[in-house]
Amino acid sequence: MRLLRAGRWITAIALLLLAGVYVRALVYTPVERLQGLAQKIYYLHVPAAIWAETAMIIVGIASIFYLFLKDPRLDRFAHASAEVGTVFAVLMLTTGPIWGKPIWGTWWSWDARLTLALFLFLLYVGYLLLRSAVADPASRARFAAVLGICGMVLVPFVHFSVYMFRTLHPMPIVLKPSEPSLPGSMLATLLFSVSVFTLLYVGFVTQRYALSYLREQLEATAGGGDSGMGHA
Amino acid sequence: MPDTVPQNGGYMVGAYVVAAVILISYALSLYLRTRRSLRA
Amino acid sequence: MPSSSSLRHAWAVASKDLLVEFRSRTGILSAVVFVVLVLMVFNFGRDPTAVSNLVLAPSILWVTFTFAAILALNRAFQLELENQALDGLLLAPIGRGSIYLGKLVANLVFVATVEVIGVPLVALFFNVEVWPHIGPLAAIITLATLGFVAVGTLFSAMTVRTRFAELLLPVVLLPFMILPLMWATLATTSVLADRPLSEIGGSLKMLAGYDIVFVVVSLLLFPATVNE
Repeated sequence: MRLLRAGRWITAIALLLLAGVYVRALVYTPVERLQGLAQKIYYLHVPAAIWAETAMIIVGIASIFYLFLKDPRLDRFAHASAEVGTVFAVLMLTTGPIWGKPIWGTWWSWDARLTLALFLFLLYVGYLLLRSAVADPASRARFAAVLGICGMVLVPFVHFSVYMFRTLHPMPIVLKPSEPSLPGSMLATLLFSVSVFTLLYVGFVTQRYALSYLREQLEATAGGGDSGMGHA
Repeated sequence: MPDTVPQNGGYMVGAYVVAAVILISYALSLYLRTRRSLRA
Repeated sequence: MPSSSSLRHAWAVASKDLLVEFRSRTGILSAVVFVVLVLMVFNFGRDPTAVSNLVLAPSILWVTFTFAAILALNRAFQLELENQALDGLLLAPIGRGSIYLGKLVANLVFVATVEVIGVPLVALFFNVEVWPHIGPLAAIITLATLGFVAVGTLFSAMTVRTRFAELLLPVVLLPFMILPLMWATLATTSVLADRPLSEIGGSLKMLAGYDIVFVVVSLLLFPATVNE
């Protein structure tokens, strides 16, 4: 399957480049004076955040197109983007608190980015659970599209209000793990990381899409297949 | 301004390890699931 | 713009549901009993020296309203499901939008009834002054309820035929309830603490914006949940 092969290659290259990001971030990027070494978590957390959110928007856009065009490829793509988005949301939810603990002293804080991460995670989980609960493929695609669109519409609300919430209720934080004005070297590392995460997204989505396609093929042949065929 | 940089390297290592585990696990999961579907 | 006939159809759908609901009365009764139960538990659990009523009351208020809303939403399409009446409803010569609006109104009336009973109960059990703030409170409650019932009505149409419908609906609805709840609880706290009304302006605007957006989106998406 050509798509799968392409996906696997892209993922492999992306993972290799990720190792490069690790080296660059850990060894060749200067340490931030106020936050110390823990600040370097930023180079993983921010790209994960960008893609966790973008993946949801992509699910929404693909869902809108699906409702109009009814093309199953769009549904497969939305599903793939949702699953990959979940992975990035989990990444956000794990690296976020690990970053927060040394900086804020607590594992959790209702700061803008962590709250957004939690929202995104819940949205993704809901989407995936809904898909798994609906048996009929046509209904499943339609329902998922509805939820995907609602999720996409919700994201700007969450984004806007958690950041607004933060200004109304200022947290007594001295050191905020937000973007300091980045000196060139740090910016370069960040951009490198964001591009690698983009490649990871593409590779993952391609493979997940291929997986859906393969499973649909299997289901089609199993449905019309004869008795006597065993299943692996 | 602190004289010394805070010693929190342990957290950095933890986060980088966790991130690598998550990404590699997912890549592996995709590989295994697609392989199973190809074989069937 | 909805035509007068589609609005009439919506009202017909709503009144059918409301008639069934109020004839049997089990829904409302269970919701009210639940509210009383929650209020009692919260009362036994609190330590008056640690947490004042004023701090607790808004959150308790909204927790109970949330559960009442979920109860209403779970029942929303169950009626039709049990008697396979959904097909009948869909065959009737009324637009999908009317069905949605009708369901929405019925759900809102159900939740509003619980809220009308709940607010005085909270005032009574927790000794908070509600009456002088009744205007702003009513506004907050109306706007927030509309927000999650609008999305909830849309989602319940999808979840009703799934296997764990009663569990799936709250899970899927959760992210969409958190925001209105957040704004509502903040505003309620501010109002009950006698803070100037200008302070809740921001929350009310966010709630109103949320309502407009999601009622429109739900109305537009509802046909996708019932079309074969």
